[in-house]
Amino acid sequence: MSESQEPFSYPPIDPINFDLIIVGTALSESVIAAAASAVGKTILHLDPNSFYGSHFASLSLHDLSSYLTSPRSPPAAASASTDSDDVVIDLVHQHICSDAEIASYDESAFLDENSRKFSIDLGGPRALFSADKTIDLLLKSGAAQYLEFKGIDASFVFEANEGLANVPDSRGAIFRDKKLSLREKNQLMRFFKLVQQHLDVTQEEKISEEDMDIPFVSFLEKMKLPPKIKSILLYAIAMVDYDQDNSEICKDLLKTKDGIDCLAQYSSSVGRFPNAPGALLYPIYGEGELPQAFCRRAAVKGCIYVLRMPVVSLLMDKVTGLYKGIRLVSGQDLYSHQLILDPSFTIPSPLTLSASDFPSERLQMLSQRDIKGLVARGICITKSSIKPDVSNCSVVYPPRSLYPEQVTSIKALQIGSNLAVCPAGTFILYFSTLCNDADEGKKLLKAAMNALLTLPVSGNSESILSVQSDSEDTKPIVIWSAFYIQKLITSKFEFISSTPTPDGNLNYNDLLDAAQKLFGQMYPNEEFFPKATPPDDPTDEDDASGLTLDS
Amino acid sequence: MARNANKSLQAKLVLLGDMGAGKTSLVLRFVKGQFSEYQESTIGAAFFTQVLSLNEATVKFDIWDTAGQERYHSLAPMYYRGAAAAIVVYDITSMDSFVRAKKWVREVQRQANSSLTMLLVANKADLEDERKVSNEEGEEYAKENGLSFLETSAKTAQNVNELFYEIGKRLAKAKSSHETGMRLHSRAGQDRGGLFCCA
Repeated sequence: MSESQEPFSYPPIDPINFDLIIVGTALSESVIAAAASAVGKTILHLDPNSFYGSHFASLSLHDLSSYLTSPRSPPAAASASTDSDDVVIDLVHQHICSDAEIASYDESAFLDENSRKFSIDLGGPRALFSADKTIDLLLKSGAAQYLEFKGIDASFVFEANEGLANVPDSRGAIFRDKKLSLREKNQLMRFFKLVQQHLDVTQEEKISEEDMDIPFVSFLEKMKLPPKIKSILLYAIAMVDYDQDNSEICKDLLKTKDGIDCLAQYSSSVGRFPNAPGALLYPIYGEGELPQAFCRRAAVKGCIYVLRMPVVSLLMDKVTGLYKGIRLVSGQDLYSHQLILDPSFTIPSPLTLSASDFPSERLQMLSQRDIKGLVARGICITKSSIKPDVSNCSVVYPPRSLYPEQVTSIKALQIGSNLAVCPAGTFILYFSTLCNDADEGKKLLKAAMNALLTLPVSGNSESILSVQSDSEDTKPIVIWSAFYIQKLITSKFEFISSTPTPDGNLNYNDLLDAAQKLFGQMYPNEEFFPKATPPDDPTDEDDASGLTLDS
Repeated sequence: MARNANKSLQAKLVLLGDMGAGKTSLVLRFVKGQFSEYQESTIGAAFFTQVLSLNEATVKFDIWDTAGQERYHSLAPMYYRGAAAAIVVYDITSMDSFVRAKKWVREVQRQANSSLTMLLVANKADLEDERKVSNEEGEEYAKENGLSFLETSAKTAQNVNELFYEIGKRLAKAKSSHETGMRLHSRAGQDRGGLFCCA
């Protein structure tokens, strides 16, 4: 999208009054645009970038590199003609990603030639559970008709000294596991029977209220489950981030009731769609398709789209201090009842503002950004798979599986060329983990990569060859890698709202909950995607098969 | 599936061109046989399907309209993904729309896959008195760029069916090569039982 084009002049936008202006086309913003259009709101949806998706975009290799390494500088505010009744407050843009480290190894010519064949997720690793609420929302909103998916072939958990083990997708798979003793299998049998009864509405027998409120890890211990199974349930199925056995540092201690919910979601995800053998799905062309599908949904309902349109300032009423509108880089002023901003925008502290008589307390809120933590993200490109015969797979490295001080789990996802995100014969691997600082995050990711991949020392290809011949099973060699640290900022509902940054989770459930909540706060009397959306394509209804499947 | 042992294929078709060139009118004429003098700017529909039976094959078209996202040059890459054919439309009464159509042709060449079939269509041929773009100009540009060229009128239906038949015939000969996956559908969901099933 960013390849050279004719000199660009900013078009005037017509009309100039809207119910809602949204800046940024990340997933949450796009979902809100689609939801608000569906209930008849007039919306202008802007993005300063030349591409859709903001922090959830999928980009070519070149675009990704330049996005990570050269944060765009905020455009100079156009014509400071302030003869209006508005107070003009310039927006500050703060990149949510930092500490980017990009390395290209021996194949830079190949990568240069094929840059546009890559479609790399900025917010990866991401996938959808077949039975999670994202799928329901895609169907309910009508966005699903613009998307195609493939199943992730396999899910693995990394075990210290043993490498990759399958995450079981059925009871049969657990009972075929030769590493478990008969006694352990019987304990598992008891556990599954209990969970099954608990989830079955027709059954009386339930897990006790008391047990539902204790940490899931304690409940699993009470059920005498072997450590290996406990670890799979907690980190590879419930996908918790922090070491559940270390209550001092654990920031997300999972309760039994939430653990059971995760088990239920996983269980109903497996095999929900034929042709998707596991629990996870991934969109063809990458996660950047998801915001695009919601934006198209919004456009169909009348939402106006303008890419490459930076917003430079907010317009506030001089007397009331309330939000009135925005000023574009072109100098044009636009007005709306509500505004949603991408989380990378803030405003300067009110103290530095010159308009001293302006009721500035309101601005205090917006100028303070709560950074809830950091996510370290890593991307590798390889020319072979981490597991022969498997193209697309997920991997979880539970806490302490890489080294004793590892307190968070690491999530990874390998995507191959049959998802149309990379040239034939290449693979993209995504890694992420929560962390307290950039060094810790990168150390964790590098350890995870080194466990399955060979990261060459740049400019020294001979060492790779020797490593290769020494090791028994050849690890895929990384031909390109990137690391970056992303801030975690939650959404905010004020007189100006803002959306959250991508979180550290594999799926989108929490982000969609935040989007739905924000929508409800803005429009308390409106339904979030009314059910009666008629299908655009009535002829599809006579597809008796229910699923359009190929390949 | 395939009738009479005939080849059956599904093809995504996208329309491009200036606002008001007649993209939606062409589709409505083809799909519904209707024409409206004052077709509103496209919102609300933007997705049609139509089955075309040819001697060579049965072609099911998924026709994507721009949903207005072309207005500020903000079409999503999703629009071009997996498209088997593109129709670039201009209005013969507007030189501007012809100039813009050339830009759309370059945009398609840049964005879409190389096996895509592209046609250049000069619409509103019924408005001969107001013509600003000659037939020769359009034809010459199309020839230079290896495109098929047709003058159409959504109003009189001139060449509209021919346009879609031409695309259908070309697609029947071509091979589609893009990755396909599964579409979500709410009716899917026989629960295999997952972890807890006794089977």
